[in-house]
Amino acid sequence: MNRIITTLCFLLFVVASAMAQRSINGTVTSSEGEALVGATVLVKGTTRGTVTDINGRYTLEVPANGTTIVVKYTGYSTMELPLGTGNVVDFVLEDGTTLDEAVVVGYGTQQKRTITGTVSTIKGSDIAQLPAQSFDQLLQGRSPGVNINIPNGVLNNPPVIRIRGINSINLSSIPLIVIDGVPTYTNQFSQNSAANNPLSSIDPNDIESVEVLKDAAAAAIYGSRASAGVMLITTKRGKSGKTNLTYNNWVSWTQATRVPEVLNADQYLEIKNEAAANASLAGPQYFLDTIGGNKVDTRWADYIYRTGLSHNHNLGISGGSDKTTYYLSLGFTDQEGMIVGNSFQRMNSRLNFDHKVTKRFKVGGTVSYSESKNEAPNTGSLEGGAFATAGIGRLAFVLSPLVDPYKYDADGNRLPGLSGYNVANGALGVGKNKQSVGFLNPLPIIDLNRNVSGGNQIQANAFAQYQIIEGLNFRTQYGVDNLNGSNEQFWHPFHGDGLSSNGNATNIQVANRRWNFQNTLDYNRTFGDVHSIGALVGHEEQATTTEGWGASRTNIADPFFSTFQGNFTTIDPVANFQTKNYLLSYFGRLNYAFRNRYMVTANLRQDEYSAFAPGNQKGIFWGVSGGWTVSEEGFWKNTIGDWFNYFKIRASYGTVGNNAIGDFQSQYLYNSGLYGTAPTFTWTQAGNTDLSWETSKKFDAGIVFGFKNDRIQGEYTYFSNLIDGLILFAPQSPSRGIPGSTIPINVGSMINKGHEFALDVVAVRAGKFTWKTRPNITFMSNEVTELYNDSDILATTSGLETTNITRIEEAVGSIYAVPTLGVNPENGRRLFQKKDGTVVQYNHAGGATRWTKLDGTAVSAPSLVADGVVQGTALPKWYGGWDNTFTYGNIDLNVQMNYAGGNVIYNGSKAGLRDQRFWNNHQDVMNRWTENNTGGTIPRVVFGDNISNGSAFAISENVEKGDFLRIRNITLGYKIPFASKYFSSLRVYGNVNNAFLFTNYTGTDPEVSSNGNNNRTPGVDRNTVPMSRTFLLGLNLNF
Amino acid sequence: MNTTISKFSLLAAFLLVAIGSGTGCRKELLTALPENQLAEAVSFETPDRFLSLLNGIYAQCKQGNFLGSRYSVFTDVRGEEFLNETGNGVTGLQTWNHTVVESTNEVNYIWNAGYQTINSINIYLEGAQANSRNLGNDALLANYLGEARFIRALCYHSMVLIYCRPYTDGNGSNLGLPLRLKAERLAIDNDLARSTVAEVYAQILDDLNFAETNLPATPASATIRAHKNAAIALKARVYLGMGRYADALAEANKLVPAAAPFKSPTGVAHELQANVKTVFTNYTTTESIFSFPFTTNNLPGTQNALGYYYNPAPRGNGEYSLNKAGSGIVADSVAFAVSDDRRGLIIIHTNNKPYLNKFAAGPQSTDFGPMIRYAEVLLTAAESEARVNGVNQRAVDLLNAVRTRSKGTAYALTDFADADALVAAILKERRIEFLGEGLRNFDIMRLNNPFPAKANVAAIPSSSNTYIWPMPSGERQVNKLLLPNP
Repeated sequence: MNRIITTLCFLLFVVASAMAQRSINGTVTSSEGEALVGATVLVKGTTRGTVTDINGRYTLEVPANGTTIVVKYTGYSTMELPLGTGNVVDFVLEDGTTLDEAVVVGYGTQQKRTITGTVSTIKGSDIAQLPAQSFDQLLQGRSPGVNINIPNGVLNNPPVIRIRGINSINLSSIPLIVIDGVPTYTNQFSQNSAANNPLSSIDPNDIESVEVLKDAAAAAIYGSRASAGVMLITTKRGKSGKTNLTYNNWVSWTQATRVPEVLNADQYLEIKNEAAANASLAGPQYFLDTIGGNKVDTRWADYIYRTGLSHNHNLGISGGSDKTTYYLSLGFTDQEGMIVGNSFQRMNSRLNFDHKVTKRFKVGGTVSYSESKNEAPNTGSLEGGAFATAGIGRLAFVLSPLVDPYKYDADGNRLPGLSGYNVANGALGVGKNKQSVGFLNPLPIIDLNRNVSGGNQIQANAFAQYQIIEGLNFRTQYGVDNLNGSNEQFWHPFHGDGLSSNGNATNIQVANRRWNFQNTLDYNRTFGDVHSIGALVGHEEQATTTEGWGASRTNIADPFFSTFQGNFTTIDPVANFQTKNYLLSYFGRLNYAFRNRYMVTANLRQDEYSAFAPGNQKGIFWGVSGGWTVSEEGFWKNTIGDWFNYFKIRASYGTVGNNAIGDFQSQYLYNSGLYGTAPTFTWTQAGNTDLSWETSKKFDAGIVFGFKNDRIQGEYTYFSNLIDGLILFAPQSPSRGIPGSTIPINVGSMINKGHEFALDVVAVRAGKFTWKTRPNITFMSNEVTELYNDSDILATTSGLETTNITRIEEAVGSIYAVPTLGVNPENGRRLFQKKDGTVVQYNHAGGATRWTKLDGTAVSAPSLVADGVVQGTALPKWYGGWDNTFTYGNIDLNVQMNYAGGNVIYNGSKAGLRDQRFWNNHQDVMNRWTENNTGGTIPRVVFGDNISNGSAFAISENVEKGDFLRIRNITLGYKIPFASKYFSSLRVYGNVNNAFLFTNYTGTDPEVSSNGNNNRTPGVDRNTVPMSRTFLLGLNLNF
Repeated sequence: MNTTISKFSLLAAFLLVAIGSGTGCRKELLTALPENQLAEAVSFETPDRFLSLLNGIYAQCKQGNFLGSRYSVFTDVRGEEFLNETGNGVTGLQTWNHTVVESTNEVNYIWNAGYQTINSINIYLEGAQANSRNLGNDALLANYLGEARFIRALCYHSMVLIYCRPYTDGNGSNLGLPLRLKAERLAIDNDLARSTVAEVYAQILDDLNFAETNLPATPASATIRAHKNAAIALKARVYLGMGRYADALAEANKLVPAAAPFKSPTGVAHELQANVKTVFTNYTTTESIFSFPFTTNNLPGTQNALGYYYNPAPRGNGEYSLNKAGSGIVADSVAFAVSDDRRGLIIIHTNNKPYLNKFAAGPQSTDFGPMIRYAEVLLTAAESEARVNGVNQRAVDLLNAVRTRSKGTAYALTDFADADALVAAILKERRIEFLGEGLRNFDIMRLNNPFPAKANVAAIPSSSNTYIWPMPSGERQVNKLLLPNP
């Protein structure tokens, strides 16, 4: 639509001239080969020009003094070509932005030139066609200030999205995601161990652009929901002109990377029997075995990871007449993960249409339907699951190599059916060994259990817009966003999670219903090229209900059944939740610009939100910003304006909020349950009627610049975000017996500060060769400045292992561990340092005196609470991305990197990989201390030792630096020239995703997040599956 | 154009109605209440809710992290009777091998669950009295308050036994628990110092005396709700633990006649069942004085059931086998003869190890969690009798009542040279009779005996700082007045 306006405006200024010396013609196409309709073609230095027709063709009369033709088109870089002797000049425009382009902002659009807030735009074309389940996975490194972590290789695991760091301690730090004007749902939506990211409903191919609103000036219009920033997703719309038919397809292969190297059978035997002897167990405990004459040496990871095959299809039709335009798309994706049994499917369709009833009256709408299905075994890799005994992330490295997953007869044939699994006493069968060899056998779990989290989402909205007078538009929009989840879980009674309930089938339905009603009155006029005025007032209401219901059926009637609908003797209700919230808002915005030089913007929003107690529901949020485009001044234009064509200074300040608390969090509530067969009421929630939103006070200042006619564009921003009134679940002495031992209070504060840099450079343009490079980097820090009673907040990974601390003057969720000082070369014991400086050592075989000082006197055990020390921030101090596109004729090559560092990671998996119970160990355990290897880096092995290497409490030995550089994407494409006979264009390409990782981190991956999106426990790598690497082949076809 | 304008006017009018009046109606959405949870303000509004809240207290007390199972498992596996089979840190490994520290999960979880129950009781005691007219039945109110205070005594007693030095070490002069006796709702009063062990016991006895007075003679629901005899039986146990044997005897004697047949003369007519196995299949016989119920709709939850810990797969997870070597009572084939019926509550699994089979339901564990059995009252009476009056026939008869019920060889008066010998036999009988019922820790610690060595775990003398659990880290961080255990 913006393109049409641009075109129309342009026509007003064009005066056809008959004074031309010669006639130049040609075509304007995109780099994908698409004809660009309505592109502006100008003779440089004049107002003479034209626009391209529906085939992208133009004809232009050029005066004698005309030497260069300039072509502009929204969404593409402006291109200039000198006139030679020929009369045909074709333009192939590269994706890019120009300052005249309209940028989507809250409840409207604004010219990039006049924006004084901090808004980054990511183009849909940058993220389409890459291997992913959801678009947010693809935003890594693409915008300054935006840090995205993929938690691990589980398909559709929601990425950790942080705009300028963590913006809350207990509430969500996920930005508000708004799709075509209607806020949508985010974060883990699954009710079982299959991951489910609601944002995967959107086909990345349907996205036109993603706008990231970072400062208060840009985000204040979203008021109490904007504390963590806002992402505005705009989907593609049709353009009048010829019908455009596109088909995009890719096929990919994905594999696990950096799987831990564990001991083989011989090494395991050596280590564990040595450990047994050191623990004074009588004789060897573990023994080699053979099956059919072959030594048993099981590599468990080989049974758990695979090469997953995926394919993706997207068909799009768009076009329309002068009055009506449409965009229709269909998508299908079927993806296999790197983990056996992990898959993702989505079918989606979208219709966006716009219709002009009259010149002044427009209507339009969007209907999008998506259906998806996620299936995964229990990976132990989602938030809260790190210590699941059935979590195959850990089983892949913890199980003994001395036993086989299967049982065989005397001839070496696998026994049939269930008897063919090596299982005994509810655990992995021990075979000839005297000690256990594993928690569970993962294979029957993978083969027999099922976890599916499926869903469907309808996102639809309709709008009407009426131009009351020139520049004054009234717009009304009603939208719905209904997200339904259906979760199916079946645990077979044979082994694993289903054993203790003799089979368990749990189905849970979740329904999210939302309606959103917006009305805006928007005024935009420019008077005499001097005064540009924009004004917006609006009203918005949004109501959301969330309901879940389900049942768990246990004690299977017959193992024949494998679904909820089969017969089980017991049924219990589960996941019954029922909440709702309502937000009522009024807002406004004023822009003023003087000759495009001086700009001011003010935003104001009032929200009333139902989750707070009456009296505390209403809040006012605001933002002001100003900018000075210095390069528009005469003194600039006349001096350096030729090469330094654009320079803007801007600053903003304002307040926004975070209201992402539970819908009834302010209330004191009792739950009902059972005592035997009698009903009960039990106090389950301590509320707080004084509760209110968290407030972010955001300050931003920066510059935007362009050199050499915007060939080099860049920006720098300083930001500081002081978040006040953080809702803390204030720790109460557990002896007070308050549910959860916490009460929510607005009491904390913290500050995020940093610098963002970004460049967008056409580094080389030589003949057919161009190199465009777009680096960005953000440096930032987080500091907690106030907590309830100044008390530390300790946080655990999966409720079991304390790994993080939130403490005043430290970053939120810093890594916390007891200091260790290596291994005592005299006796091979791990050395720990207590708070008072005492160095103590641990001997698991020491009976009543396991903990001793170096002189041998007994001493009490160190503990994390008493002796823990902050090891460093878990949040990257610097992060960014660097995108490079090389084109040579029909060949294009894209290399995209992302990087982060300055943080530490708690490598909890390392504790597991060195644990001296039956657990298999990392290869590094071969360098354990022995009397002949007193320099060993691993403590003397003692069977059963779960202390020395960090299984009992976190130790600094397992803290590592998280710096890394990743080659995230390498894409090589080729436009097949001869194909143009049959199609408008055909491009084939190959891509490697997560191609290379450069890091000193020894765990699976420095980006891993065992705790998902949790603010308090970032930077923990505990028992999760690694990342994947994907190889992809694809094609883009335009008919 | 005119029609468009009129259409637009129509639309505008409609929208104004929608925004204006609609918003007014929708303002109600701003004050939504949950539909599946009850607001505090109305929690004592009806007599039914008085009862539901009371049942909520019982339910909280029997939660997996407290008396429903884990407390019982953890206190038993500290002793010598069980061997850890799975090495799993979340099912009591560190408790079993005496390596818990203040941040160990069970050290925190038991504490939290216990005090949550206590606070629910304190809220109930205040709320029920303040809203008594909504119940409109003073006699019933007295019963309810008695039940609540019985549970509070049970909670404090269970906790003081594991977090504090025994009463018998210094006559209760050591650090006890923080005594929380008021309803706690708001973000205040985090700091509270520990009372002495003696003060905690005084409170327990006060609660039990109140309960004895106010509880009904027969429970509202057999076995699973408190009644007078339950309060008396618990009081006998408390006095026994304090070493106040005369008091223990006096309490026990309220329920035990001077001579056989031993059957409670007041309240519920408690007596031993003919076969001890009956108690573990029919959970509501007169032998079970107080137990916590579990049903298929009210299961203990994952890794919480007694059966999960003690039954081998597939009925449980075989977390602990019985210690058939050295110190375990199972190894004692003299006192615990092969022909003893109670051997029938043990099975030898395919791995050749013995497992406790008292809580045999499984994998859905619907076994009740036993708290107090009449057999315990008899043995408490026997031990107190022996300690107060020396070797005497009644003590031997009481011991034999429990012993011969299960075909154990009867003792004769002449078998015991002195009171110590008789007490030793009674203590051994308690190990046989109450194997896996949560009393082993109590019996070791009240006598300041060491925890015997087992497998590769060394003995823990009573002088060791690991003899009792440390104060939990969660409490230590917030409650600034809380002193750690030495």
